[in-house]
Amino acid sequence: MAPELSLDTGRLEAALSHWLSHESQRGVFVTDPQFRLVVWNQWMEIHSGRLSGEVLGRSLFELYPEAATRGIRESYESALDGAVTVLSHAFHRFLLALPPTNTELGLAEMPQSAHIGPLSLDGSVLGTVTIIDDVSDRLTTEIALRKQIEAQRRARATAEQALHAKDEFLSTLSHEMRTPLNAVLGWARILLDRQTLDHALVQRALQVIERNATAQAKMIDDMLDMARIVSGKLRLEMKTLDFVSVVLAAVDVIMPSADARKIAVRTHLDPRTPLIVGDPDRLQQVIVNLLSNAVKFTDVGGSIEVRLDMSDSEAHLIVKDNGRGIEPEFLPHVFERFRQGDASSTRRHGGLGLGLALVRDLVELHGGSVSAESAGEGKGAAFMVRLPTMAEAAVSADGVRAAGPGPRALAAIRVLLIEDEPDSRDLARAALARFGAQVSAVSSSAEAVTAILSATAETLPHVVVSDIGMPVEDGYVFIRQLRALSPERGGRIPAVSVTGYGTPGDIERAKAAGFQLHLSKPVDPLALIEAVAKLSREGL
Amino acid sequence: MDLSSVQQDALIELINIGFGRAGAALSKLTGHRVQLEVPEIQMCPIDEMADRLRLLLDNEVATVHQIFSGPVDGDALLVLDRHSAAILKELLTSEPPLPLEIDRSAREVITEIGNILLNACLGTFGNILKVKVSFSVPHLTLDTLESVVGSITVDRQGLRYALIVHSHFRLRNSSLTGYLVIVLGVGSIELLIRSLERWEGER
Repeated sequence: MAPELSLDTGRLEAALSHWLSHESQRGVFVTDPQFRLVVWNQWMEIHSGRLSGEVLGRSLFELYPEAATRGIRESYESALDGAVTVLSHAFHRFLLALPPTNTELGLAEMPQSAHIGPLSLDGSVLGTVTIIDDVSDRLTTEIALRKQIEAQRRARATAEQALHAKDEFLSTLSHEMRTPLNAVLGWARILLDRQTLDHALVQRALQVIERNATAQAKMIDDMLDMARIVSGKLRLEMKTLDFVSVVLAAVDVIMPSADARKIAVRTHLDPRTPLIVGDPDRLQQVIVNLLSNAVKFTDVGGSIEVRLDMSDSEAHLIVKDNGRGIEPEFLPHVFERFRQGDASSTRRHGGLGLGLALVRDLVELHGGSVSAESAGEGKGAAFMVRLPTMAEAAVSADGVRAAGPGPRALAAIRVLLIEDEPDSRDLARAALARFGAQVSAVSSSAEAVTAILSATAETLPHVVVSDIGMPVEDGYVFIRQLRALSPERGGRIPAVSVTGYGTPGDIERAKAAGFQLHLSKPVDPLALIEAVAKLSREGL
Repeated sequence: MDLSSVQQDALIELINIGFGRAGAALSKLTGHRVQLEVPEIQMCPIDEMADRLRLLLDNEVATVHQIFSGPVDGDALLVLDRHSAAILKELLTSEPPLPLEIDRSAREVITEIGNILLNACLGTFGNILKVKVSFSVPHLTLDTLESVVGSITVDRQGLRYALIVHSHFRLRNSSLTGYLVIVLGVGSIELLIRSLERWEGER
């Protein structure tokens, strides 16, 4: 049994009525059966801007005629029959046109939900009661939630896409790794199965195995490099270097495969290209990748042109071929990871689709940029690499610039340069001249001897720089002839040797023959400058 | 006590008239053509209601509940599978979905749909019974079928019956089914059956 209430119910009702009128955080109004207002609480006063004194006794639909046009009147009529109507914000937007409380939503009316019901006592309906909620805050929250969910959905889609690309890559990878492996295994089995092995067969098998193992090693290197770049773990060994020598070294690397396909590689390298700051191994990798790409997509007997120019304080390298070209639709994607032209050409040409992506990433790590051009399929392609030169690089590479010799380090120093290979000769001459040296360059040992014998005391070189590997008479022959001369004829001119081989034995041999210093190819121009400067200071 | 097939057909026809109006009201509200129809009605004692509903619904449901009172009184519910409720809301409002648990706007929309259907159905009963009933404010819960059934079976006296009204929504090339459950005392059911017979006789 319910306990006896010792409360004054009359006072309680008065308090409740006061609360509904003054404290409720919802709009409350009551009408009589003719829909004339009899209660209009404070919330309604505040949000409608109409005081209860103005509205009581007046018809709701006279005050808000617009509500009648939206079918709201039917809800009031059914309330007189005892029915409760719920008006959701989503379907009705608002019950009464009240000014918005939150202008950020950009709504002309305060968004509302409401319910309208009968006000009845002892089974008879005395009128209607309406409760209105301002749903502005709720809408704001829901909009924010939807945005969050949409953002998550998009992030998930991106992740799935990346996963898909990875899957595709893995299938390409297993195919590409298997191809050279098949060749290696195939030839290994042929050798194992033969009772007798003739030299030609073994030779051929070993060549195939060597070539395929090299190809696979290159693939693995590319992948590791890409992984390092993606995870930001690739370290560049930045130094001041001569880009021309890097380009030449890269051309040397690619020559055998170009020769094998009878593809001519022509170089036009401006020897005045200024020094740049970069990682020589990585830059060489960039050019080798571009060149092997060109070799791969150029038909037998085609040609590749390598051009290096200066423009606007940038070194501007172009690798251009007359090969199969790039379709316009694919052109924007050539530098993307794991991307290759159409599937059939992928099968025809193989590869992981990482080479050009590495080119782009490595060049960008050097503060440069890459681009590709092609007039279309079958019309050849050109790849451009732009790298900032030293003045620029010094700024962009965060002061990586190494402390090198000053620009006049070789002022008034006469240098005799002996080098049979024209590009290397131009390169060394340009490097020496850039630091103020007076360079006379010859292409053979005999010319060098002639030059020294015909020199006067005023023109005798201060330092000699000589290549070792030269046809007819090599650098050793030359230095012996030089050292045989009297001091005043030049017999004690200090000399630097330059060779493609840098083993301790070579260095010893060069020293024994009469050279004071030894440099290996490709020659770091700054090392050359420093060597010449040192010898010109110290003499023999 | 059971409904004869004639009585059942009569009841289906009557509720369909009410649902026709409800469908029209929903079409007007949403701007999409909404068709509502009743293919089947089941009647059973309240003890069997749980078993019957379990065959029709998932355990996770959204329920709009209204209590009605007057000469006849009882409970009226619209019960929807939770995912049907979400789909219905999405179809009707064309708004991107949020989980119902955090989407008050969606819950409000489902409440209004339930309100419209229950009003249509009970309004029909009121008309044939020639009585006026009053309704409580509809209330939506996201709960298990078990506890929904529990809330209307416990703590009530007397033999009661449940009418399970299969309600088919067709809109925007989709269709889904919800269930109106009207729980009435045995007296109200007898009154309803007599009124149905009278209505049939008057035709």
